[in-house]
Amino acid sequence: MSNYSEKIKAGYLRRLQGRKVINLLMLAVTFLATLMALIPLFWIVGYVIYMGAPSLNYDFFTQLPRPVGMEGGGVLHAVQGTIIVTVLAAVFAIPPGVVAAFYAARHPNTPLGVALRFSTDVLSGVPSIVVGLFAYALIVKPMGHYSGLAGGAALAIIMLPTIIRTTEEMLKLLPSNLREGSLALGAAEWKTSLSVLFPAAFSGIMTGFLLALARAMGETAPLLFTALGNERFNVNLIVTSGLKSKQNIGQITQRILDQPLDSLPLTLWKYASSPYPERVAQAWGVALVLMIFVLLLNITARLWLANRAKKLRG
Amino acid sequence: MNKKFFVVFAVLAIASMLLSACGAPATPAAPVAPEVQTQVVVQTQVVEKIVQVTPTADMSKPTDMPAGSVTVNGAGATFPAAVYADWAYAYQYVDPSVVINYQGIGSGGGKKAIVDGTVDFAGSDSLLADADYTNGKDLQMYPTLGGAVVLIYNIKLAKPLPTPAAGATAVTLPALVLDRQTLVDIFNSKITKWNDPAIVKLNSAWADYLPATDIVTVHRSDGSGTTEIFTKALASFSADWKAGGAQSVEWPKGNNVGGKGNAGVAASVINTPGAIGYVELNYALSNSLAYASLINQAGKTIVPNNASVQAAMAGAQFSDKMTATIVDSKDPAAYPIAGFTYLILHTTNMKDCVKAQKILEFWKWAETDPSAQSRVVKLGFSPLPAADSKLMLDGLSKVACNGAPVLK
Repeated sequence: MSNYSEKIKAGYLRRLQGRKVINLLMLAVTFLATLMALIPLFWIVGYVIYMGAPSLNYDFFTQLPRPVGMEGGGVLHAVQGTIIVTVLAAVFAIPPGVVAAFYAARHPNTPLGVALRFSTDVLSGVPSIVVGLFAYALIVKPMGHYSGLAGGAALAIIMLPTIIRTTEEMLKLLPSNLREGSLALGAAEWKTSLSVLFPAAFSGIMTGFLLALARAMGETAPLLFTALGNERFNVNLIVTSGLKSKQNIGQITQRILDQPLDSLPLTLWKYASSPYPERVAQAWGVALVLMIFVLLLNITARLWLANRAKKLRG
Repeated sequence: MNKKFFVVFAVLAIASMLLSACGAPATPAAPVAPEVQTQVVVQTQVVEKIVQVTPTADMSKPTDMPAGSVTVNGAGATFPAAVYADWAYAYQYVDPSVVINYQGIGSGGGKKAIVDGTVDFAGSDSLLADADYTNGKDLQMYPTLGGAVVLIYNIKLAKPLPTPAAGATAVTLPALVLDRQTLVDIFNSKITKWNDPAIVKLNSAWADYLPATDIVTVHRSDGSGTTEIFTKALASFSADWKAGGAQSVEWPKGNNVGGKGNAGVAASVINTPGAIGYVELNYALSNSLAYASLINQAGKTIVPNNASVQAAMAGAQFSDKMTATIVDSKDPAAYPIAGFTYLILHTTNMKDCVKAQKILEFWKWAETDPSAQSRVVKLGFSPLPAADSKLMLDGLSKVACNGAPVLK
């Protein structure tokens, strides 16, 4: 009898041993797979730093480009242009995006709500070059010239689906008794949305907005046919010479927004495909600056979200 | 987010830095890789290095932009973009009241933009279609400068070159020489080995060194004016070339690969022993790549350079639309694979006459100012020879705004 149970125990131990080995093996495999998934990111970051860092210096951020063969010069125009087009895109995309998301979250099953969800899904899959051509036909051609304004509009289209979908998701996460409580206290629907739901979902909305901004900031194709590029674009010069000749703020703003301007991805694309080695070296510098911008936005967004999650957990 | 995470993070970050540092020479960003090149390609010519444009003191500071200043926008071909950008930069010190902005978005994009009226001028390597002249009746193309397409190669020598005696200079091989028929045969995959008698016959100095390895031809995978010039030349060289001459063609079946842009072609050639490909002369010069000489129609061996491209341009037979094909020139001094790049303007219906004047003054300056013209050569291109330049300037003087000629 005892012999029999001994046998069972031995068999059990043997199987346990086998399971432990398999467990260890699979753990190692998953660990390796995770490592392999992580390496490309770090490799890219490391490689861009390695290639780009030598090009970075003070002039790189404060000077306009010089022609090939002439020492020095920088990408001030592209840094300024990137900030301007992304801010413009945010101004164009956030109000309609957030309001539409409120509608979709409140009326998810109405024909308009379904249509909105469907079209944002489709829009987020549209290649960005198509968005650029669309903005060219709709804005650049009627206006008769390329401009930062058109570039901002094109990027706004890129940002829109991300903003709508994340805002909608954030609103759906809110407990429904929040809205019901507000309504029960006699607040109107608009008042509820504005002073109860919006503040509650604010940090979530901001996260979505920052992610959308990071994506828009890295886009080249929509700007190629809208913002075009401009190596002589310099906000400082426009403002100082504008003030000197007594132009008002409206005129100066128009001078800034109504002409072609450059952005970091656009400059990166042009420099990287240039035949001159010094331009290619600068392209790596631009890639590094762009990567830092985008990583900063992404990390800020993640931290914001993590912070909020912590708060919600109490 | 605990300590362990940061340890893993740090290890990965350091590992990837090391990996990328080691990986760097193996995967060059720009296909320069001089160490690879000296092993397999013998640097034979003294490459005309691009001379640094000496900045004069005031040229390092941007000029003021007065409130009344005009911004002139141009877009199109990427091929001359470096020259146009250079001219535009220098011109701010000639006329501070105008900003010239040229962006290389491709010939196709430039032609579309000028027809749509979204730019003030366009650049293009390829000709306007008849439909474009119908949509924009007053459009006119003007040649602005020329360039050559050259053949770069990567030949792994059959045996090493003899080591020089002490004190003597290193033994080098002259530039590879090809004739028109041989070139067509190579790209038709009719000649498939580097030690083919046709190649050996043209390169007696190489005789012992040409290997019995396969020839790999490298072409542009993207549509390009460079491909158009090259394939038009092949079609003109021999009736054996059936693929025609266009921005992109159906390449004959054989041992060939594609590369995107000049950089893609150069990278493929550098990384593939036995490869031969075509790039723009300015690209080969600025990246110190060795390139072949060609025997032209007159039977002369021609090195592609400013003089031989200018010889080809001087013999150009212009059509009534002021365009010309200059491949396979009959001139004994001409390099046979060359082409013009063009400026496109509206000739009668520019709306803003002040702007029209600024545009024309700029182009007149660019084509006539000696310093502007010398910059063209420094960047690896060729300025128009006198006859072509006169034709272009005559054309510019005919441009009118509100019925009156713009240039006085």
